[in-house]
Amino acid sequence: MSEPVASLAEPLATIPTEVTTRFGRFAVDPSSVIQFPEGLPGFEQNRRFVLISSDDVAPLHVLHAVDGPDASFLAVDPRFVLDSYRTTLAIGDRLRIGAAEDTPLVWLVLVATDGDGASVNLRAPIVINPSMMVGFQVMPHNSLYPLRHPLAGD
Amino acid sequence: MLVFTRKRHEAIVIGDGIEVRVLRVGRDGVRLGVTAPSSISVHRREIYDQIRAENQVAATTTASAAGLAERLRRTSREQAATVPVKAQEVSG
Repeated sequence: MSEPVASLAEPLATIPTEVTTRFGRFAVDPSSVIQFPEGLPGFEQNRRFVLISSDDVAPLHVLHAVDGPDASFLAVDPRFVLDSYRTTLAIGDRLRIGAAEDTPLVWLVLVATDGDGASVNLRAPIVINPSMMVGFQVMPHNSLYPLRHPLAGD
Repeated sequence: MLVFTRKRHEAIVIGDGIEVRVLRVGRDGVRLGVTAPSSISVHRREIYDQIRAENQVAATTTASAAGLAERLRRTSREQAATVPVKAQEVSG
């Protein structure tokens, strides 16, 4: 009576060498693919993103979904926005991305714009374990940082 | 929706290894304890909704990435040395 389970997984889309996003057209480094096993809140179907770095937009990055519905974000290391930014990962959260206590992690926050103003979500950063290229968006129960922190003197 | 009546210290079990226990019942709220594997994320609904809504805004950002990057480079003083800045921008 058991159902075959092997066919449930959809084949992964191949990684394009170039992507067109609403921020422009960028070359894709095939080694920059990051798995988000749970997607991002609101974007649960996007399980793989490429992190695009380009001199044109540095220190910003473009986080562009390579499967699931079209989705792309601007992201930046939170310490470019707030030098004193510090956050830690609970043990359970570290395990989710296969990170030990001393594993170097990559932190990014998403950029949102409202009229002329731009802000970053310092409350819910994205954390990536670069040695495994896996990440998730941290949703802390208690954070001193705001959902909308001005990006640059806004 | 499944509905249960639970007294203080009673619990429900969801799937394999998730338990929700009533710790305290007050006049204005119920204190719950959740035990779940580390691979399961547990959040207050309103916090999850807030972050999801902010992600939706971030996904529709239409500002010029280069323009925002330029503003960020100008204002990130401490980190300026590590940011690639074009020569003409330095002299300007």
